[in-house]
Amino acid sequence: MILDDRVLDVRGATVRYAPGRPAVDGADLRLTCGRVTALLGPSGSGKSSLLRAIAGLEKLDGGEIRFENRIWSGPGRHLAPEQRRCGVVFQDYALFPHLSALDNTAFGLRGGQRAERRARALARLEAMELGARAHAFPHQLSGGEQQRVALARALAPDPDVMLLDEPFSGLDRRLRGDLRETTARALRDSDAATLLVTHDAEEALALADTIALMSQGRIIQTGAPDAVYLRPASLTAARLLGEVEAFEARVTGAAASTPLGEAPASGFEEGARVCVLARPEAIRIRRADAEGALAQIAARRPGSGQQRLVCTLEDGRAVSVRTALTAPHRPGDAVRLSLDPDNIHVIPAEAG
Amino acid sequence: MALSPALRQSYPVWPALLAAIVCAAPFVAVAALAVSGEWTGYLTHLWSTRLPGYLIVTLQVTAISGALAAVTGACLAWLVARYEFAGRGVFEWLLAVPLAVPAYAAAYGWYDLTQAAGPLGFLPTVRGPAGAGLVLGLTLYPYVYLLAREAFSGQSSDAYEAARTLGARPGEAFVRAALPLARPAIAAGLALVVMETLADFGAVAHLGAPTLTVGLIRAWAGEGATAEAARLALMLVAFAFLIFALERSQRARARQTNASGRRKPARRVALSPLAGLGAAALCLTPVLLGMVIPLARLGYRALSAPVTRDLVSAAQNAVLLAAIAGVLAAGLGLAAAYALRTGTRHGAFAARAAGLGYAVPGAVAALGVLAILGALQGGLDALWTGLFGGVFPVMLTGGIAALIFAYLSRFAAAAIGPAESALSRVTPTLDAAARTLGANGRETAWRVHRPLIARGALLAALLVFVEVLKELPATMILRPFNFDTLAVIAHNYASDERLGEAALPALLIVLAALPAMIWIARRIVRAEGAT
Repeated sequence: MILDDRVLDVRGATVRYAPGRPAVDGADLRLTCGRVTALLGPSGSGKSSLLRAIAGLEKLDGGEIRFENRIWSGPGRHLAPEQRRCGVVFQDYALFPHLSALDNTAFGLRGGQRAERRARALARLEAMELGARAHAFPHQLSGGEQQRVALARALAPDPDVMLLDEPFSGLDRRLRGDLRETTARALRDSDAATLLVTHDAEEALALADTIALMSQGRIIQTGAPDAVYLRPASLTAARLLGEVEAFEARVTGAAASTPLGEAPASGFEEGARVCVLARPEAIRIRRADAEGALAQIAARRPGSGQQRLVCTLEDGRAVSVRTALTAPHRPGDAVRLSLDPDNIHVIPAEAG
Repeated sequence: MALSPALRQSYPVWPALLAAIVCAAPFVAVAALAVSGEWTGYLTHLWSTRLPGYLIVTLQVTAISGALAAVTGACLAWLVARYEFAGRGVFEWLLAVPLAVPAYAAAYGWYDLTQAAGPLGFLPTVRGPAGAGLVLGLTLYPYVYLLAREAFSGQSSDAYEAARTLGARPGEAFVRAALPLARPAIAAGLALVVMETLADFGAVAHLGAPTLTVGLIRAWAGEGATAEAARLALMLVAFAFLIFALERSQRARARQTNASGRRKPARRVALSPLAGLGAAALCLTPVLLGMVIPLARLGYRALSAPVTRDLVSAAQNAVLLAAIAGVLAAGLGLAAAYALRTGTRHGAFAARAAGLGYAVPGAVAALGVLAILGALQGGLDALWTGLFGGVFPVMLTGGIAALIFAYLSRFAAAAIGPAESALSRVTPTLDAAARTLGANGRETAWRVHRPLIARGALLAALLVFVEVLKELPATMILRPFNFDTLAVIAHNYASDERLGEAALPALLIVLAALPAMIWIARRIVRAEGAT
């Protein structure tokens, strides 16, 4: 750990709304200034509650949150939201309906002359390509414009921590792609420690330097996007980031045997029960005269540039395979399937 | 929607508790007064003399005015919400405006028109329980209209369309789909109509329909029997609470049916020119009957009456009182709305308790205020005598403050609804956004809440302003010596059969209330169009 790093540290954070299982249940998370962390999890996993706790909008029932050695939330302590220098982009944007885009953006600016604050706010809006819409009111703005105003408003006071709660969820797909780029650029230009809460794996992979996976109130894995994608710590973690095939097996001779062939399992004891995880693109598909497990293509689902093939093995098990859209596979074809040993991942069975 | 505990602390709950005390205390005092002393013997005496008459008349008047208001309000609401015709945009708000007319003003006008020597003398004279019920229904139907219109232009209209696609004909779809979904709203409006009818004194007294309220005032004024009046008052309140409880049980269903939340204004069906003319005529009817015709008669009678100096000072008094009460009630309404928003249990309880005030008729509130201030005065007098000799130099019961207390007790509840809906524009995430942008609780209230709720607060204040202008029984009981308002003057002249002199003050009330009422009606209609 580099001591100079400015970090936000969340340790064992617990948020409980009602008796019973807490919404956030001992979550650990570390955000570094200048980096974007995506918090990915299904709805109800406690992502938004954790974000709100960091912003000071919820009190912690356990654990602590500190920024640069200053305790923000902890036992018997709660720094008010207005004293935290946290910028938040809310899911519904929460633009003030009675203020123009410019006045919304200038809301959090303090000190100096009014004209100066407005000039700073206008510069923010112009950086978001919203200069021409500065005097429009929220109800006159499109969804994408509202999102950018919300981002400009949150970034305007140069916050130490930026929190984005599902910022693209209300937008259509095409707009989402454009906004993602704008947002990524704006976040990279700021030096804030950024947390992006999302349930969209693609969004997380595209925007984040680090991905944290959340399930049932806990952070179950943290790491670089491709590391988390290809080497998930558990089956739950693996499924959060996309489709995965899981084969249970026993280790014999440093290898686990699956219906699609052997998987190297050198780190495990002889006889240990393991789970072999393979993403659809880590399963090779070849013609029937090649080597591998015999299967038949049951269905083909074309996507953008890729196609997903549902193959049925001889024992009746269905396996998903992803290939280029141009690959010449048709439903009914007999094929051979095998594992790509470089891109599969073996975990202990109990972690599944 | 409630605020998270982390943001809650900035908004205190005590103003809502104050609102609850102001609203509930008079009723509690009346109840205490009523159960003190010999109670069963009195009841049997009353039962054998006047009580059955009061009860029967009350039921008759309430049934007629309620039925008339419910049918008129609901049908016109459906017409305006569902169909497009010439003048619809105007009728949409105009139909609510008769609320500016006090029922007694309409009663004076109609009675004068239809009495034997009047220009409409060929009609049956508007009097007795039936006449009072008609007049009250015609002036109070806007309560049903406003709430039903909102329901019909929202979800219940979706249900209507769904029913049509499932093969129901228009009439069938209205009865089977639209009406059931709007029933809670209609019930809420009807409850308001019934409570206003129970509280009315001027119209029923003038038309000779002695309801419980009349009995109460008689007991208090004629016989000076406060405890007897309190017992009648308790009965009256029991009546009103019953209505209130029925309405609440309907509203519980409304909450379930509103769960899906999505609301889009439905496209209206354009009527043919001829049918449109018919619709316009239907819409014009209650406005003519409830407002234009009786007021025109009063105007005619007022032409021959002298303008006296006491009229000017009474007008000043009335407007001043109504304005003070309106502003204070808006404050209490906001306090209750904030307590509901904060989401703590005792805050919500206080707000709901304050909301009960509307079920307490003005005469009862006044009696309660008298009882409270009388007791306080007794205590202070005793204290003063002990310390300095002589009685306490200030007469608590004889001041304007006592009157304002009673008005607030009765009408602050009317301000809670508008305040609540104004505050609902300030979603919890707006608070969260302001706080994360560095504004503390107070600054958030000033920079975010104030601009967003200002108009809603004005609406609440004006609603109470109109109600207080029209209010008669509480004013009669509590007004200071030599202090008259328009309503009191009108009533006094009318009960002396000097309708010419009564007409002008009654008209002045409408004149003062009309601009406010038009603004309110247009604003309510527009606010719904925007969502």
